[in-house]
Amino acid sequence: MKHTDMLWRAASFAVAASFIGLWQLTANLKLVSPVFLPGPDKAWAALLRGFSTGDLSEKLLGTLEHMIYGWFAASIVGIALGAAIGSSKAMRDYVAPSLELLRPLPVSAIIPVAIALFGLSQGMALFVIAFGAVWPMLLATIHGFAAVEPRLYEVARTLHMSRLAVILKIALPSASPDILAGMRLSLTVALILSVVCEILAGLDGLGHWVLLSARAFRSADLFAGVILLGVVGYVTATAMSIAERHLLRWRTSGH
Amino acid sequence: MSATPSTVTPLRPVAFQPRTPQIAFDGISLDLGGKTILANVSLDVAQGEFLCIIGASGCGKTTALRLAAGLYQPTSGRVTFDGAAMTVPRRDIAIVFQDYGKALLPWRTAIGNVSLALETAGVPKAERADRIEELLVKVGLPFHGDKYPAEMSGGMQQRLQIARCLAQEPKVLLMDEPFGALDAMTRQGLQDEVLELVRASGVTVIFVTHDLEEAIYLGDRVIGLLPHPGRVGIETAIDLPRPRDQLTTREQPEFLRLRRRLFDFIKASEA
Amino acid sequence: MIPHGLKPLLLPAVLIAAFEIWTRVTNMQSDSLAPPSAIAAAMIEALSGGELWTATRDTLASTLAGLAIGSAIGLSLGIALGISNVFNRLMEVTIEAIRPIPSIALLPIALIALGFGYRMEIVIVAFACIWPMLILSRAAVGGIEPRLMEVARVLRLTPADRVRKIVIPAALPRIFVAFRLAASIALIVAVTCEIAINPIGLGASIMAAQQALRADLMLAYLIWIGAIGYLLNAGLLFAQASLFGRAALAGGTP
Repeated sequence: MKHTDMLWRAASFAVAASFIGLWQLTANLKLVSPVFLPGPDKAWAALLRGFSTGDLSEKLLGTLEHMIYGWFAASIVGIALGAAIGSSKAMRDYVAPSLELLRPLPVSAIIPVAIALFGLSQGMALFVIAFGAVWPMLLATIHGFAAVEPRLYEVARTLHMSRLAVILKIALPSASPDILAGMRLSLTVALILSVVCEILAGLDGLGHWVLLSARAFRSADLFAGVILLGVVGYVTATAMSIAERHLLRWRTSGH
Repeated sequence: MSATPSTVTPLRPVAFQPRTPQIAFDGISLDLGGKTILANVSLDVAQGEFLCIIGASGCGKTTALRLAAGLYQPTSGRVTFDGAAMTVPRRDIAIVFQDYGKALLPWRTAIGNVSLALETAGVPKAERADRIEELLVKVGLPFHGDKYPAEMSGGMQQRLQIARCLAQEPKVLLMDEPFGALDAMTRQGLQDEVLELVRASGVTVIFVTHDLEEAIYLGDRVIGLLPHPGRVGIETAIDLPRPRDQLTTREQPEFLRLRRRLFDFIKASEA
Repeated sequence: MIPHGLKPLLLPAVLIAAFEIWTRVTNMQSDSLAPPSAIAAAMIEALSGGELWTATRDTLASTLAGLAIGSAIGLSLGIALGISNVFNRLMEVTIEAIRPIPSIALLPIALIALGFGYRMEIVIVAFACIWPMLILSRAAVGGIEPRLMEVARVLRLTPADRVRKIVIPAALPRIFVAFRLAASIALIVAVTCEIAINPIGLGASIMAAQQALRADLMLAYLIWIGAIGYLLNAGLLFAQASLFGRAALAGGTP
C-alpha cells in the first residue's frame, strides 16, 4: 500500500476510535440509561466472557451453520436453474416474466408458510434461508447467461463444441461476474434470514442470543451479540470480495 | 516481414486450372428478415486460392462469408465444399471475425484462447502446450502467452484470433474485414504476415474487405458485389508477382489499373 | 404459435390450474396449502373486511416514514462523502464497520428501547435505508462528469450553489434509482420486523393467519404483500420514467 494510503487508513481508524471514545463518554456520563446503552468497555467484556464460557462461540457457530448450509443449497439450485433458464430463449420468454413479478416480494413473507409446512424447526429455517438466498443468484445467473456475447456462440458452432462444453467453457465463465455478484447478495440475505428464523423459532444462534439478552435486559451481552453479527457480515462479505477479485482478475487487466 | 520483390515473370497459379472447386456457391439466394440480402450469387473458390470480395455497404459480402462458414443456410441454392453440400459449420473452415474483442474469450489468456480450438478437437493435454507455443510464434506473439486479451493491443488480439483459427488446422480461412479496426501501420504489417502464413500453409482464403488496395494487394482474384440485393458485379484475376511488397507492388502499373477499375465499379454501384 | 405477448402468462396460468385440480382431486386438508379458489375467496373476504386495510396502512406508514428518514440521512451523508474526498477517506473505517450489521440484529435493541409498535419499526427501517442511499448517492456524486465540476469552479459558484445547481441535478437520476432500491428494502425490512416480533402490520396479519391454521387466508396475505411490493416498485418506476425519461435509464439502471 502506498505511503499516503497508509496514512489515510490510520487517520480513518483514529476517527473510528474517536467515535468509540464518544460512545464511552456517553455511557460514563449516563446520558442514556445503561439499560439501553452499555459502554464499549462493558460490551467488550461481555464479548470476552461469552467466548470464554463457550456460549457465544456456540451461538456463532449456529448462525454460521444456518447461513452457510442454506446459502450453499441455494447456490446449487440457483445457478443450475438459472443456467437452464438463461441459456434457452424459449425458457426465458415463458419463465423470466413470472420471476420478475416475484422479485419485489419480501422473502420473509414465506416464513409463515414454512412454519406451516415444517413447524418451528431447523428444517423451517433451512427452507426459508435457502428460499431467500436463491433469488439473487437465480436472477443474476439468468441475466448473465442471457447476456453472453453472441459472437462467442458462433465461435462455438464453428468449433463443433458440444452443448455441455458451450455451457461450461463459454456461458458459465461469461456469466461469472453476474453470478458472483448474485452470490454476494445472497450471503447478505442468508445472514438476515438466519437471524430472523433464530429469533422466531428459538434456534441456536446469534439471533436467539440477542433476543434472550434483550428480554433479560442484559444490554452488554446484547451489544456483544450485535457487534458479532456485524463481524460475521463483514468477514463473509470480505471473503466473497477476495474470491471475486481472484476469479475475475481478467476483467481489471488492461484497457 | 516483406520479402524482396522478385523479378520472376508472373505465372498463372496452377490452382486456376479447371477442376472441382473447393468451395462453390451455386445460385445462392438469402432472405433475412424479409429482405433479400443475396440474389442468385454463384462463385467458385479453388483450393489454395486467395479470393478477395469487395463491394459497397449493403452488398452482402459479410453475409456471403458467413454462408461459406456454414453459419447461415441459403434460402435457395447450395453452398458446397469439395462437391458436398454444407449444412453445418465445418471444423476445417475457420472464420476470423472483424470484432476480435468479441470473438476472444476474455477470461482466458492467449494460451487459453488458442487452447480452446485444440480442446474441442480432442487433442490430448500433453500435446497442446507445444502446438500452442508454435502457433503463437507463427503469428508473432511468442512471449505473450500469459496475457489476457484486455491486456493486448488491437493488432495483437487479431493475431491471437488468427492463431486460434490456425489451431483448427483449417483447409479454408475466411476473413471478415479482419484489419478494418486497426491503424494503417498495423494493418500493413498484418497483411504481409497473413500472406506469409498462407504461402507457407497453402490454405485457401476468402478475404472480405472494403479496402480496394488491400484486396488487390492480397488476392489472386477479386470479386466485386453489387448492393441491394447482393449479386456478383465484377470478377478479375490479379496479375501481380508474388511475393508482394508494400511499396513496389503498389507502384506497379497493373496495380494502378486494377485499382482504377475497381474504384469505378464501386462508384457506379453506389449510384 | 403463441403470440409473444401471451407467453409470460402461460406458465402461471398452467401452474394455478394444475394446483387447483390437484387440491380438489386429492381433497387435501392442509395447514399450509389451499386451493387457488379458496385463496381467492379468502382474499375477497379480507379485502372487504377492515383488518387488511388497517394492517396495510400500518406497514406502509412504517415503511414510508423509515424510508424518508433513512434516505434523508443516507443522501446527505452520501453527497457529503461524494463531494469531499477528505471526509470520505476519514470515514472509511467507521462506515465499513457499521455497514455490515444486519438491520434485523438491531431489532432487540430497538425493542427494549422503544417497545413494540411504530417507532421501533421505523428506526429499524431507517437504519436499513441509510446504507443503499449512502453508498449509491456517493457513487452518483463521484460519477459526475468532472467537466461539470470544472465549469462550477470557473463560474465561481459558492459551495451551496454548486451542490444545488450542479451536483444534485447531475446526480439525480442515479440517486432516484438508489431511492427505488431503498424503497424495496424498506418494505422488506418492515414486513420482516412484523413477522419476527412486531404485532402490527401485514407481517403480523400473515403470522396470525398461520397460527389460526387458515392456510387460505395466509396465502392470500402472501399474495397481497407481494402485490404491495410490486405496486410500490411499479409506482416508483413510473415516477422515474416521467421525471427523467429515457436519458436516466441509459445510465445503467438495474
